Amino acid sequence: MLQLNYDPATNPLNNNEWAFPLFECIHIAMFAMSIGTIAIVDFRLLGLAMRRQSPAELMKATSLWTLIGLIVVITTGLVIFTTDPRSYYYNPAFRYKCIALVGAIIYNYTIHRKVILANAGRFVGGLVGGVSLLLWISIVFAGIFYSFV
Amino acid sequence: MSPGEIAQAIQDLPFFTALRESGLTYPIVLSSHLTTIAVFGGLILMSDLRLLGLALTNIPVSEVLLRTRPWKRVGFVIMVTLGMLLGGSKLFNYYDNPYFLIKMTLIAMVGVHAMVFHRSVYANPARFDGLKTMPGVAKAAGCVSLAIWLGILSMGRWIAYFEFPDTHPH
Repeated sequence: MLQLNYDPATNPLNNNEWAFPLFECIHIAMFAMSIGTIAIVDFRLLGLAMRRQSPAELMKATSLWTLIGLIVVITTGLVIFTTDPRSYYYNPAFRYKCIALVGAIIYNYTIHRKVILANAGRFVGGLVGGVSLLLWISIVFAGIFYSFV
Repeated sequence: MSPGEIAQAIQDLPFFTALRESGLTYPIVLSSHLTTIAVFGGLILMSDLRLLGLALTNIPVSEVLLRTRPWKRVGFVIMVTLGMLLGGSKLFNYYDNPYFLIKMTLIAMVGVHAMVFHRSVYANPARFDGLKTMPGVAKAAGCVSLAIWLGILSMGRWIAYFEFPDTHPH
């Protein structure tokens, strides 16, 4: 059993009717911003949207918003985690979510970024954009499946 | 029939009963609903921030609004369809939940907002292209849209936290 010198019952989020859903709402709005901005670039890589701009232009225009979204979504996620660390820690969906999130962030700022800046062809670009979309969507799914597994 | 009986009859339809009692389908529909919020809600958010002059300022307003519009429409239809599946399967628990009712009202407000700003903003966003600062009407449209959508998102989450008074038949 995971040992903690901390009693979640003392967490303010577990003692205030509004705090927990409020953090959830911020978490959802900010993953919409971070994943949404990445998705715009991915749709462009797949050749489906905003074709008058290059993927690099779109990435530059959205990167600050992606970063702000990621910082806030991770911060609120960590706060939500503290409300019930034991059940999150042992939950397979949550474990997948953590690993996939680290992977997705590394992917986003390495391979994804390099391929966009190198102005790769339709095939490589589409592949990299498709993988990015699937990876981020799987993280959203894991967040919901946490409550169902 | 009272609204409660109608809601009960709808959620008792074999299709909605199967969805509600399914082990895997329900969370998949719910996850997909959230995914459309991430992917297509992100488009709405960025369009609003563009109208406010805060984001994507190196891309013309008309490009941001018009070139993402087909995707927003597709996303909206998917989002609403999935939402109807989720809402229908538990309608008896939702029909008199105040947060659910506020959410439905706000969804109607999306349409009202689109009509109010149709002529001044959405029908011809090219008039804002190349402007250094966005005019008030564009900022107002972006601000109202942002407020409505954040309200829809928040009320959607709050539905799950509403507790009926003890005297309530639920």
